[in-house]
Amino acid sequence: MISFLRLLQALSLLLLAGFIVAEHTSNWAVLVSTSRFWFNYRHLANVLSLYRTVKRLGIPDSQIILMLPDDMACNPRNAFPGTVYSNADRAVDLYGDNIEVDYRGYEVTVENFIRLLTDRLDEDVPRSKRLGSDAGSNVLVYMTGHGGDQFLKFQDAEEIGAWDLADAFGQMWEKKRYHELLFMIDTCQANTMYTHFYSPNIVATGSSELDQSSYSHHADNDVGVAVIDRWTYYVLEFLETQVTSANSKLNLGDLFDSYDESKIHSQPGVRWDLFPGGEAEGRLRTVVDFFGNVQNVEVENANTTEPGSLKEDLAEIARLAEKWRKRSEEYSSILGNSTKPQPENQHSPAAHLTPKKAVGPTKMAEDNSWGKRLVGLSVVGACTAIWVAGSVLGASSA
Amino acid sequence: MTVKPGDPVSPLTPASDASKSHTTRTRVPPPETPEAVQTRFRVIAAFWAVIIFLGFPIWWQTTSIYRAHLPIQEMVDWADGKTCRPVYPLEIHVAAPLLQSPESQHLLRTTQHTLDDLNEFAAHHLRLKLTNDTSDSAARVVEDSTSTLRNTAGETPDVVLTVRVLPEEGLATPRSELLAHTTQLDVFYPPSQIPSPSTSNPPLSVFIAQELQRLYGEEKATIAHILSGESAGLDSTSPQLTESISRRLRRSMKYAETYHLSFSLFTPGSVPSSWDIEAAVQEYLSPLLDAFEPISNFTIDTQVQLYATFSPMTPAPIYDETEAAWTLKKEDLSAFINAAEWPLNPSIGNGPTLNFILYVPDPSQSPMVVKENRASSWIVPQWGGVFLLNPPLEKDQSNPAHLSQDSLQSAFMTFSHQLLTLLGTPSTPASLPLRLQTLIRVRAATLLLSASSTMGSLARLTESLPSIPIPANVASSVSTTLSHLSATCSHLRDGRFNAALASARVAENEAERSFFEKTMVGQVYFPDEHKVAVYLPLLGPIGVPLIVGLMKEVKRLLAEWKAKRAAA
Repeated sequence: MISFLRLLQALSLLLLAGFIVAEHTSNWAVLVSTSRFWFNYRHLANVLSLYRTVKRLGIPDSQIILMLPDDMACNPRNAFPGTVYSNADRAVDLYGDNIEVDYRGYEVTVENFIRLLTDRLDEDVPRSKRLGSDAGSNVLVYMTGHGGDQFLKFQDAEEIGAWDLADAFGQMWEKKRYHELLFMIDTCQANTMYTHFYSPNIVATGSSELDQSSYSHHADNDVGVAVIDRWTYYVLEFLETQVTSANSKLNLGDLFDSYDESKIHSQPGVRWDLFPGGEAEGRLRTVVDFFGNVQNVEVENANTTEPGSLKEDLAEIARLAEKWRKRSEEYSSILGNSTKPQPENQHSPAAHLTPKKAVGPTKMAEDNSWGKRLVGLSVVGACTAIWVAGSVLGASSA
Repeated sequence: MTVKPGDPVSPLTPASDASKSHTTRTRVPPPETPEAVQTRFRVIAAFWAVIIFLGFPIWWQTTSIYRAHLPIQEMVDWADGKTCRPVYPLEIHVAAPLLQSPESQHLLRTTQHTLDDLNEFAAHHLRLKLTNDTSDSAARVVEDSTSTLRNTAGETPDVVLTVRVLPEEGLATPRSELLAHTTQLDVFYPPSQIPSPSTSNPPLSVFIAQELQRLYGEEKATIAHILSGESAGLDSTSPQLTESISRRLRRSMKYAETYHLSFSLFTPGSVPSSWDIEAAVQEYLSPLLDAFEPISNFTIDTQVQLYATFSPMTPAPIYDETEAAWTLKKEDLSAFINAAEWPLNPSIGNGPTLNFILYVPDPSQSPMVVKENRASSWIVPQWGGVFLLNPPLEKDQSNPAHLSQDSLQSAFMTFSHQLLTLLGTPSTPASLPLRLQTLIRVRAATLLLSASSTMGSLARLTESLPSIPIPANVASSVSTTLSHLSATCSHLRDGRFNAALASARVAENEAERSFFEKTMVGQVYFPDEHKVAVYLPLLGPIGVPLIVGLMKEVKRLLAEWKAKRAAA
């Protein structure tokens, strides 16, 4: 009876399970630029700089979703073809030779973005284009582009509202698609974008208040346009100079305290109230909780003999392999006896390992072509006969 | 005064009207004929008829959102665990070939009694059953230990374990022996301890009960842990076991129908450039993958990557004089994989990828081991495993150009072990078939819970977002899920765990499909002022004449009606 009560209690706790998970098990990053055209060079540079940072801190490409609506590196107006720089010193080529863009050009739409977050994608969409996060994943969402009061413009054609974003995050939470989420946005009136969020475990930060613009930081005279936005520039400055390794202990509080309004020229905002424990708790999350990748590797000790240890397992797997080999030998010997003796198979224990024959091309159409040819031939013949008969008759009558 | 056209009085008094207008010198249009009035009435009526009977339904039809009916209450009940209380009755056959029938009956009864006393988690209990065809069934079990895993058909409960009770001379206390690759437990007892029907609690039955309890202790704790969320499951579980269970659940992959295994050979130089990978996979891995068949499917790809360097952030290995080896510090292992440059995300197929990396260090850094315990392999939770292979160097101090199947043996055995771990196989008992059976039960529990909670999520989603469409196939997926969930529940109750896992897989699949239905993306939210802005340019110019015309017609009809009544 007691255990039954305990089970009931346990089941009732199931609902709360999501809140009790203490640590995250994987990291994902969704980095979105939303504007096209050469003069928006800086938005792509913003995103690529952040891409470089999260990759440096250990998030693999398979866990980064990068959305670039335009290709500045290949733009004919780019004086440095094949490169994107976020600084006038042009020290680091952000495009490099190892970047994986998941959504490019006209694929970057509001619909695709919402589908990505909620995973409502076609079955044939490859995994690299999917956000495969689960209840143990910390997700970083960074967006940049041109926005206004409670909207962000996508590609000059459409816009995403703060409501849509809030609902998308709500659905992600409902399906346990994140453990904690850090939302960052650099656009004009950015702070209005996170006002409608309602799902828990989100920390949101933006570059500017309502009715404030976000400004670019500086222009590169040779590239000819502004290369980075101010807020992103100072966030990156913090990440690049302070968070130097994946083991950094700096926390979100340090990051947000580094905002300097006199440098950024707008008032960045932070929203804590959705986070359990509020600001006090949220400030303690380390920066690499979101920008880095957790990897609590477990070294296997080859010398212990406790159950489930490497040694025990190896013995079992070896036994399994041995048994299989025996069985397949028996099988092949049975085959050999029943059909014809195959002496060359007898002495090789790995008889079943004969390489697979390469499969040649096969014809896809299964209907019989000769019948069709016959029909076609007879039709042509009949037509010719009619024509001949007609011309003969016509000639005789004339 | 001017007379309005359509005034009912005007056509009746044309002369007086004309004279009046003449006197006031204002010209009025000729009076309308009743036909014209009639025509205008018809025109206006026709416009409104089109609007009401055609325009309005089309607008309604095209802007309304189809929402199929979902059994919300039932879905929420599943999510809350009200519909199904998963139970795990494990059927264990006991064979005592050399005991008399009443004796064995008694042994069974007392053992069952002791077991029930020991058990504190009612959802998971062991049921003993006496079998007589001992040698036969035991032999069969030995023969087909793996194929029993696949026995999904049939109405009888799966036999999870066969206990053979045998006498053995020269024993002081009973001892047990688990046959390592079978589902058979041999219990040997001294012939003097044959339980007589008179003793209420014979030592032999206590011993058997304790042995069984020990065998299934971890499984029980795991299932209790899963069913109770992340909080501690059972009181009696040692904190050590709880820790190891939660660690295993953390590092194991989320369940998937299909996993993709990716084997990669990385080396910083130009050799080894080939390996006997096909033979190695066939020889060392296929048996394991086949044993996993009732649980998941696997696809495999392999690659060889030469000149693979560490990332600049990785601390370089250090030469250890005493070990005569290059050592990597344990805390630096997380930076070992150069995620930025090694091509490790093939993203092939639709299952999650498990990466297995075989790293052959440069001859100048060989042999390479982990500093702390000289281990050569480690697991990256939820991602894969790494193995450092230090092949014997050639005469000219270079790595061999080709890795033969034999040299890959230790690596692939380790990969198999890592695969077992990453898929969440429990570490006890010490028999692989038993562990896989446990995994089946654990997976059935997790799938049941996750499909149920997806149902709850979907129910809450449909309630909270009235603007998203719910197509009919979502409703059918939901009903499939619910029926398979209850099938899972009843299979579990009857102890048919393979069948339970099979229906739980279907339930999970369908639940995911219904939640992630492609068309269920909500229409983009428009604030009300946007809607006004969209409709007004269209409806304003059309609406004003239509409404004014309607109002005039109504006024005319009212006046006509009043005049008629006054005349009558």
